[in-house]
Amino acid sequence: MWVPYKTRLTRDLDRWRRNGWLSDDGRDAILADVAQSGGGFSLASALSILASVLFGFAAISFVAAHWEDMPRLWRLLLLLASIWAGYGAAGWLTSRGYALFADAAILFAVGMFGASLMLISQMYHIDGDPFDALLMWWVAALFAGVLLRSNPALALALVLVCVWSFTQAIDRNEVYWPFLIGWGAVSAAFAWQRWRPGLHLSALALTIFVIMLGYQLDGGHDHALVAIIGAIAVAALVGVEKALPDTESLTSPLLPYAVVVTFAGLYALQFLESPTLGTLIGLAALTLVSLLAAISYGLATDNRGMLWLGYIGFSIEILSVYWQTVGSILGTSLFFLIAALIVTALAYMALRIAHRGRPKEIAA
Amino acid sequence: MSGQRRYFWPLLIIVAVVQSAALFKIVYDKDHLLKTAREITMPVRPLDPRDVFRGDYVTLGYDISTLNKANLPAAAKLDGLHRGSTAFVTLSPQPAGGWSVSGVSEDFPAQVPASDVVLKGRIKSDWARADGSDKTLNVRYGIETYFVPEGTGRDLESKVREHKIEAIVAVGADGTAAIKGLVVDGERHVDPPLL
Repeated sequence: MWVPYKTRLTRDLDRWRRNGWLSDDGRDAILADVAQSGGGFSLASALSILASVLFGFAAISFVAAHWEDMPRLWRLLLLLASIWAGYGAAGWLTSRGYALFADAAILFAVGMFGASLMLISQMYHIDGDPFDALLMWWVAALFAGVLLRSNPALALALVLVCVWSFTQAIDRNEVYWPFLIGWGAVSAAFAWQRWRPGLHLSALALTIFVIMLGYQLDGGHDHALVAIIGAIAVAALVGVEKALPDTESLTSPLLPYAVVVTFAGLYALQFLESPTLGTLIGLAALTLVSLLAAISYGLATDNRGMLWLGYIGFSIEILSVYWQTVGSILGTSLFFLIAALIVTALAYMALRIAHRGRPKEIAA
Repeated sequence: MSGQRRYFWPLLIIVAVVQSAALFKIVYDKDHLLKTAREITMPVRPLDPRDVFRGDYVTLGYDISTLNKANLPAAAKLDGLHRGSTAFVTLSPQPAGGWSVSGVSEDFPAQVPASDVVLKGRIKSDWARADGSDKTLNVRYGIETYFVPEGTGRDLESKVREHKIEAIVAVGADGTAAIKGLVVDGERHVDPPLL
């Protein structure tokens, strides 16, 4: 799983050539094409992004240390100059063909914009509402990200939307629904950019938001809503995937997030609330069957994320049920018997799926 | 990015100009408020020492930071106010100097005597007995933080505790408040306007 795509492909191509399915020219042509079209995220670009973050911190601490020695107008001009320097560097790097380094420069400029907001707050003793500053910062990051089509700036915008909503939710002690506006705007930008890691970030942020709903609504006991939202999302994603097979590349990476939401809701209902034993057994059975379905789906569609999620969820569920039922009416031995039966069923299903999968492999 | 390389420079300049303008607007608004708004002076109250000094800023507390129904005139309407909501607090000058709360409302009061001043605040926490009596609100006006040069916070903290500091607060027509400076031992410390 961790082997890079190019290495895996080279290994497969060599095997296919040995079997005589592929010519030497074909192999070289495929590798050349991969080398040209790939190259998405290199070490150099990753380091340049990190460097721009460090530059940002260096600039902020330098300004903070010499703050009092500097006339106030100078401070402001220095901050503005750093923003312009970032965008200027981005333009220069783009014109020389270093698009990835230009992204780092844009990220630096957006970071300096945030630093400016904070230093201006300090200058005028503006207090209390750092949220307004965070709101302005994420809007600025989104603006730069969309106009300059910069993915790192958009990623920063999403992180800022999350920080902004989180501080607001803590402060108000209630769900902060405007999160969905910020989340929607940045996610739309990710979709427009067709940037896959960004969509994962969006899915992760929404997953956490939905799970948190269970702890915020109805006095902090609305986990049933979380489980229902998760189940609807799972059903919708599977439905879309079946109806429109072309969308598989989009729906299958999102499915694990929906499963996490469902499991988190069911888990809180079972173990954070205090259900009756009958309800607990019912919910536990429902959870285990759902996780088995997730595992078999992961096996059938070769969705590794789903598979691992199923295994981990299954283990957590079994351990938690065990913990909850020790010493209760449902004796420990009975519990193990049930767990053994479930795992036997799992093994049987896995065997069936493996049998079903094998003829396909031979045919290939 | 390659498809729109031609427009990249103009787009960069648009982003830089818009962001710079946004920052400039904040500075301009604050500067304008401090220069033109009405000025009131209020004593700074000593706070819980754990809260007073944090990093390089000082947290300031005022008598009007805590509103208790029992100590307020009947005109003060506290019932509709709860954590997170906006409150408008009317202050009247006292014959002996200083300011006292003469009204609290959810909306900006319709009629304000010329001598009075209205501050906009946000409720940080609210508390009441089960029967609704003795309602107490904690209000923040955005004038509770004073940034100081690194390392000088301790001195200021002890002065705050010995009642030697007053805050000079600029209050805009809409109730927005901003710290203009401090009066330390009777001496005025105010930064000159920037623009």
